Amino acid sequence: MAWVVELKDIRVCYGTSCVLNVGELKIAPTERVFVLGRSGAGKTTLSQLIKGRLKPSEGSISVLGHSRVVSAKEERENQRHIAMIDQEFFLIPRLSVVNNVLLGCLGRVSPGKSLLGWYPASEWEKAEAILVEVGLKGLENRRVETLSGGQRQRVAIARALMQDADIIIADEPISNLDPELAEEALRLLVDCTKRRNETLLVNLHQPSLARKFASRFIGLSRGRVVYDGPPVSFTSDDEEFVYRGNENGKGSSKK
Amino acid sequence: MPSLREQWRQRLTFQFVICCGLGILLAWSIAKSQFDLKALLSSGPRFLEFFSRLTSPNWSVSELIIHSMVETLLIALAGTFFAVVLSLPLGFLAASNITPKWVYHPVKWFLGFLRSIPLIVVAIIFVIAVGLGPFPGVLAIAFHSIGMLGKLYAEEFETANQGIINAVKGTGATWPQTIRFGLFPQCIPQVISFTLYRFEMNFRDATVLGLVGAGGIGYYIQLYVRAFQYDKVAVLIIVIVAVVTLIDLLTFWVRKRIA
Repeated sequence: MAWVVELKDIRVCYGTSCVLNVGELKIAPTERVFVLGRSGAGKTTLSQLIKGRLKPSEGSISVLGHSRVVSAKEERENQRHIAMIDQEFFLIPRLSVVNNVLLGCLGRVSPGKSLLGWYPASEWEKAEAILVEVGLKGLENRRVETLSGGQRQRVAIARALMQDADIIIADEPISNLDPELAEEALRLLVDCTKRRNETLLVNLHQPSLARKFASRFIGLSRGRVVYDGPPVSFTSDDEEFVYRGNENGKGSSKK
Repeated sequence: MPSLREQWRQRLTFQFVICCGLGILLAWSIAKSQFDLKALLSSGPRFLEFFSRLTSPNWSVSELIIHSMVETLLIALAGTFFAVVLSLPLGFLAASNITPKWVYHPVKWFLGFLRSIPLIVVAIIFVIAVGLGPFPGVLAIAFHSIGMLGKLYAEEFETANQGIINAVKGTGATWPQTIRFGLFPQCIPQVISFTLYRFEMNFRDATVLGLVGAGGIGYYIQLYVRAFQYDKVAVLIIVIVAVVTLIDLLTFWVRKRIA
């Protein structure tokens, strides 16, 4: 089977402290993997590692068939195929909604023309279609800084979709939203990635919400994978172990 | 490890020593500058006499002064333009979050060197090099502004949100695209604001460049003051105050719009 992500004996350490210690982890295409764990469990480190923003201290990582020891050009090409939705969205506040979304195509358009803000007509059409899909029609020319949290979240999703990536990583994408909006945003993200057959990796704090959308759970505790399996097998004991490190709970691998 | 109270006492002692040091320095500077409150207070009548001579402006020179004022304005504008053109890349090279140490350290040092030379010295050097007139004035303004604008731009680039830069880079953008879309949109309002401040300063600086033959209204200031023609000096002051106020209002409005 061709895995989209393969991690082997990965350790990410800062000095003597290791924040991630993963023996083996593989993610298949179109999986909807939800990574659960307390703050500081290593969720963000794992997603940054897969995105290529971090290099492991030890071990090997392969994403979309490319090992991480590559030239700068290949690295950029890899980046293009992995979209990231950060917790803070990191949109450009002064740019309009559509201009923020168009940033998603920077990796595939002519660098010279794009520097002048010139994008091919096909990219404009694609951006327009995505904005309709995420429910931002009518707000295309609004500055992002004037939008609500939920709307900004949609812009971040739209930018990720615009990238035409194979993997979309969302690092706690709903932490700034109220419960109702959070579920709505997560549903939108999952539906859009399903339609495109994209692999989705989401870091989340709420197992109950994750159950509704995930095809697989990965539970992290103190940088180690303590659960890896389908959401239906994720018991309250597992949840206890992942979130509270309770000795009575037990980690399991039910893949 | 000292107790919290002991740490607080140490901090307090340190702050007291610093304040004493600054106080001594201040007292020394006042003494060295031969500050004389008595002389200042007794100068009232002379101030009054000077200002009373300004109360009857001689408007016959207004055309000449407006002409030289326009020249001063253009010197400031052209000087600021050339300064911006050179300061942007230099500020970029001096930003520690964009360029490596071996680049930004020497560039920062170079900008500091440019800032350390007084404008009037720069103007004299350019007058000697390229002759009298507004051209050395433009060069002096540009040269003198680069040091400060480059530093301010660099500091602005350094405060840019790295998350946004990483997000743009993460789309597969090239390095120039990352800078264009990740960095510049974040910094543009402040860059414009700094540029406008510098233009205001440059205009005021340009009014004295004429003292050393580098064009502008400064030539007439020294001419009329030396000839005790205070009625004409009055026109100069009125025109300068009016234009400075106008520029202040205009730049304030622009800064407010872009904020």
